[in-house]
Amino acid sequence: MTPWSLLVYGTFLLGGAAVYLLLPRTDRSTRTAGAILGIGALAAAMAICGRYFLDAGGLNAVFILSATVAIASAVMVITQVKPVYSALYFILLILAMVPLLLIQNAEFLAIALIIVYAGAILVTYMFVIMLSQQNAESVYDRRAREPFTAVFAGFFTMAIIAGQLAQLPAPRILQGTLVSSAAASPIQTEPEADNTEAIGETLLAQYLIGFELAGVLLLVAMIGAIALSRKRLPVVAHAIPAKPPGQIGREVPPY
Amino acid sequence: MNEVTPYTILSVILFAIGIVGFLSRRNLIIIFLSTEIMFQGVIINLVAMGRFYGRLDGQVFALFLLVIAAVEAGLALGLVVLLYRRKNTLDVERWSSMWG
Repeated sequence: MTPWSLLVYGTFLLGGAAVYLLLPRTDRSTRTAGAILGIGALAAAMAICGRYFLDAGGLNAVFILSATVAIASAVMVITQVKPVYSALYFILLILAMVPLLLIQNAEFLAIALIIVYAGAILVTYMFVIMLSQQNAESVYDRRAREPFTAVFAGFFTMAIIAGQLAQLPAPRILQGTLVSSAAASPIQTEPEADNTEAIGETLLAQYLIGFELAGVLLLVAMIGAIALSRKRLPVVAHAIPAKPPGQIGREVPPY
Repeated sequence: MNEVTPYTILSVILFAIGIVGFLSRRNLIIIFLSTEIMFQGVIINLVAMGRFYGRLDGQVFALFLLVIAAVEAGLALGLVVLLYRRKNTLDVERWSSMWG
């Protein structure tokens, strides 16, 4: 146990306690303590990042700030009592993801993320939330189910994986070999070049079958969603009334 | 500790927060929002690893992930509307008769 890993695990413990206290329950008095603990955990994480990561190369204040906003808004999504606020905080999470992708030269993915998530998926969520709006806050939103077990499971996994990741040495040799083998492959696109053009080339040259399958999948899902959520009308056998004499045209049965 | 470690740790954190929300919340809509949080963690991981190895495959896979997320949102929300029409509630514990 080095002091470094103790610091990391302590921060995760603090964060887990904060999420446990923030999860909705019948008495709201724990939320303030949870918020204070959460701010403390985030500040500790930022301090660790600033101390250990800033000179590790490729990392700057943008990463730390966006990562903090992303983690905080993700916690707010799962701890809000009203689903509408959860969806709004999820939009904030998406907006915090965009700088994280931009500093990795993934411009196309960042814009696609905004369009698809904040523009399309979240609107669908909003529609469903509005369609199933309960009067005020419902009982099942005010009380979480087994908060301790869930927080323990989630944060235990997180602390173990992140602690191991933080202690990994830099695979410099592995990186060198893989980059050189990639340079030898015929479809080599430079990430530093035009990102959209390079992605289009990779997508349509190397992953063409996956691309087509994704289109088919979207079509199938659209048909499935329509078939699922259509309103089932009772089937009534309509007796077609006899036409009065002299009427021209086809009788349309009532829908 | 290398250049990609902060991104992977961030993705692990987002994924675990999604797991916590998925396990502990009772509202169907918030459960699906938690899966979307997990998707965000995976997207960060894919892009960071792709950049680390100098390939674009990570970003292409993240685009496929966007497609899967859209499909999942459409179908899952259709199911949610269907279930809400049946029992007039979004509580998952009302559906525990499927325990078998």
